[in-house]
Amino acid sequence: MSYIIAFLRTLFVILIVVVLSACDPVPESSTEVASQPFESTYNPPTTSSFLIEHATVLTGKGKQLNDASVLVEKGVIKSVGNNLYAPANVIRYNADGQWVTPGLIDVHSHLGVYPSPAIESSEDGNEMTAPVTAEVWAEHSVWTQDPGMPLALAGGVTTFQVLPGSGNLIGGRGVTLKNVYARSVQGMKFPGAPHSLKMACGENPKRVYGERGQAPSTRMGNVAGYRKVWIRATAYRKKWDDYLAAIGAGQELDEPERDLQLDTLAEVLRGNILVHNHCYRAEEMMIMIDIAKEFDYKISTFHHAIEAYKIADVLAKENICSAMWADWWGFKHEAFDHVRENAAMVNKAGACAIIHSDSDIGIQHLNQEAAKAMAAGNKSGLALQPKDAIAWITSNAAQAIGIAEKTGVIEEGKMADLVIWSGNPFSVYSKTNKVFIDGRLVFDRSDDSKKTVSDFELGILAPEGERR
Amino acid sequence: MTRILLRILCCFLVMTPVYAKDYLIKNATLHTLTSTGVIKNADIYVSDGFIMQVGRQLSIRTKHQIIDATNKHVTPGLIAAWSQIGLEEISAAESTVDHRTTLSRYGASFNIAPALNFKSTLIPHNRTQGLTRAIVAPTEGEKLYQGMGVAISLSNIQPELSQEVIAQFARYGDQGAKIAGGSRAAAYMDLDLALQEADYLRNNRSQYKPGHDWHFSLSVGDLDSLKLVLEKKIPLVVHVHRSDDILTLINLAKKHHIRLVIRGAAEAWMVANELALAKVPVIIDPLMNIPSSFESLAIKLEGPAMLNEAGVKLSFSNMSSHNAYLVRQSAGNAVTYGLPAEEAIKAMTINTAEIFGIKNYGTIELGMEADLVIWDGDPLEVTSHADAVLIKGVKQSMVSRASRLKDRFWDLSNITNKAYVK
Repeated sequence: MSYIIAFLRTLFVILIVVVLSACDPVPESSTEVASQPFESTYNPPTTSSFLIEHATVLTGKGKQLNDASVLVEKGVIKSVGNNLYAPANVIRYNADGQWVTPGLIDVHSHLGVYPSPAIESSEDGNEMTAPVTAEVWAEHSVWTQDPGMPLALAGGVTTFQVLPGSGNLIGGRGVTLKNVYARSVQGMKFPGAPHSLKMACGENPKRVYGERGQAPSTRMGNVAGYRKVWIRATAYRKKWDDYLAAIGAGQELDEPERDLQLDTLAEVLRGNILVHNHCYRAEEMMIMIDIAKEFDYKISTFHHAIEAYKIADVLAKENICSAMWADWWGFKHEAFDHVRENAAMVNKAGACAIIHSDSDIGIQHLNQEAAKAMAAGNKSGLALQPKDAIAWITSNAAQAIGIAEKTGVIEEGKMADLVIWSGNPFSVYSKTNKVFIDGRLVFDRSDDSKKTVSDFELGILAPEGERR
Repeated sequence: MTRILLRILCCFLVMTPVYAKDYLIKNATLHTLTSTGVIKNADIYVSDGFIMQVGRQLSIRTKHQIIDATNKHVTPGLIAAWSQIGLEEISAAESTVDHRTTLSRYGASFNIAPALNFKSTLIPHNRTQGLTRAIVAPTEGEKLYQGMGVAISLSNIQPELSQEVIAQFARYGDQGAKIAGGSRAAAYMDLDLALQEADYLRNNRSQYKPGHDWHFSLSVGDLDSLKLVLEKKIPLVVHVHRSDDILTLINLAKKHHIRLVIRGAAEAWMVANELALAKVPVIIDPLMNIPSSFESLAIKLEGPAMLNEAGVKLSFSNMSSHNAYLVRQSAGNAVTYGLPAEEAIKAMTINTAEIFGIKNYGTIELGMEADLVIWDGDPLEVTSHADAVLIKGVKQSMVSRASRLKDRFWDLSNITNKAYVK
């Protein structure tokens, strides 16, 4: 423990120096950095260099390159463009007639925490025992052998964020995973990806707790619930930051008591955990924006943002992403004002639009979901192209979960998370041909030996066969 | 000759209040779904609600409106093979949901028809996306036999309340076992016993009087309702997934000489030959490929193509109501995984009509009711849209509540003034 405190002290001194030199009034300390529990152990094997040639490339950030190449070295994108120079000995994939996109990213998945087959004993996504359970982490529920994961990979999804459910006001921490086979969740964790905090507006928390005769039972009860806990989190953060500042200045003090729930919330206030807020209605999103201002935290993304189109200008101004479905509606009252043009209208207002799945089926064809959302906008008079709409399932999604520096775009220096499609991914007839994660070929449609079979699927239908 | 007869028939129809005009749809790619197949640059003449002529460069003398369909595709209006359209507005709002009952006295006799709400927002939402008809079925309930469904038309003029029952719905497998005390074996015995009792009752009906103390496993009302199944007037549609459960049901159907339809059908492809031999059609969602239960472990995207290859009649539904029209995306995916395109469209039109005994609908040919959709592109492509929808010859409004909301918020300037609608 003294080792941890010593480490913290050193870290804090460094931070103070950095902060003072940057004249930033907010100290970026953390009670957690020292221990880094459940750290990622994902370590992609070294792979040979390869060149994908003659492809139609959607970079993920507004560009379509025809008859283009992508060169990958040591798991990283080296270059992209026409007439690339590549060493003679690299593996070459002729992608004539095929399209290449960044690996798809789903910002809203429950793979592993609500796995298939759906049986009661493995429904681990919603800790509905108290309205605030910021202390739980989705990664502690993930079953890495969910057969939905290889299916999502066959759909081109290389990264996905697993969130706790929406039964609580604050459901806990979400985790971003690479879609790779591993024996542990640590082996799937996206290196360096920030945690997220799942918050939920509206019907779900007030129904879950209202039915038990406890708070919250109304939307106003929801809001009181968030504010009460943010007040505690603010005080907790101050207590720890003051303590760390004091020991940093050489004082001898007893360490304040740790609180697992407030640890997470304090990290949100410090900007180290990103807020992902399930919120359907425009007026509730506006209230949540004000709560974020009151307690000085940032909302990364509104999820299931059915009414984002009503406040798209505000979302653009506040720099908040909207994660949306192409066409789900009507399953509850707060999902009644759906429009098929939602994503297109958010995009038109200059705000960050994302198509998410929240579904083990939808995650397998995020490209089709984006295609429908794009086409709906175009039918109403816009001129969206695949090069624009691909951002909704790649670069914008990466931005929302804090990994935009690492993946989501095909450009030099990014992780080689890539999909080769049989044709235009915005067509129902296109399939993934090959999927790469960090330059490693993890799915090849034409080669059964390059298809992940989860432990669960091994011999499940016939002892000698696999489920695929 | 048929044409003349139809003309005469149509003259009678004109006497009744019909709002259908005459239309000439010109220069389209027609998916006829008949032996003629796809015809390019062809016309359809629609008169008084019926398809009167199909061919190239038709010349029509009577007064009509022209719908230019150059570079467009025309299919029959789509039908959802299983839905709750008109029985549910908001799934989680109990007061708007009428497709299930917790009363144990209604099983096979539960007929959803009186509850249908033709002002439902789900009707225009689906209609503007090319769905013109739907099979509407009961769900859940306390019994294995869940009740009877009807076929509805999604027309915006003269909603038609069809009282004609088109099927009896039931469940087996996991869901059936849950109802039957936890075991498939008990569920099988109950399904079988009810059919035996229904048969006994229909043969001895005259001896039964109200107040009579007869002991059956189900109410007399429920058993009476199964008569239509025993007489093969309607099919028995059973929700089931596991391959051996499907075989069990094929045997049950043989024993009682009933028309069986399998719904769900995750593992149907494993027993495709048996289904083809027994002439048992399958209602399936081709997009569903998740092994969501232990009874559906073998589910896969290639299933529909394999069933078709074996000669099984396919009918598609995405088992949804709000977005029943997305059956088109499901069908498109079936094609991506091996099903011929025309078979995929048949599974959303004529095949479903044949399974449920719906007459004069489902193909583009002379004498059919003019349920037609003009698509701005390939009807199976996710980026295509319906440009015009005709139901029984009447051109439909393309406005829905969602399109009204979109129009209101398309331009966010002066938004507060938009509360005022002319």
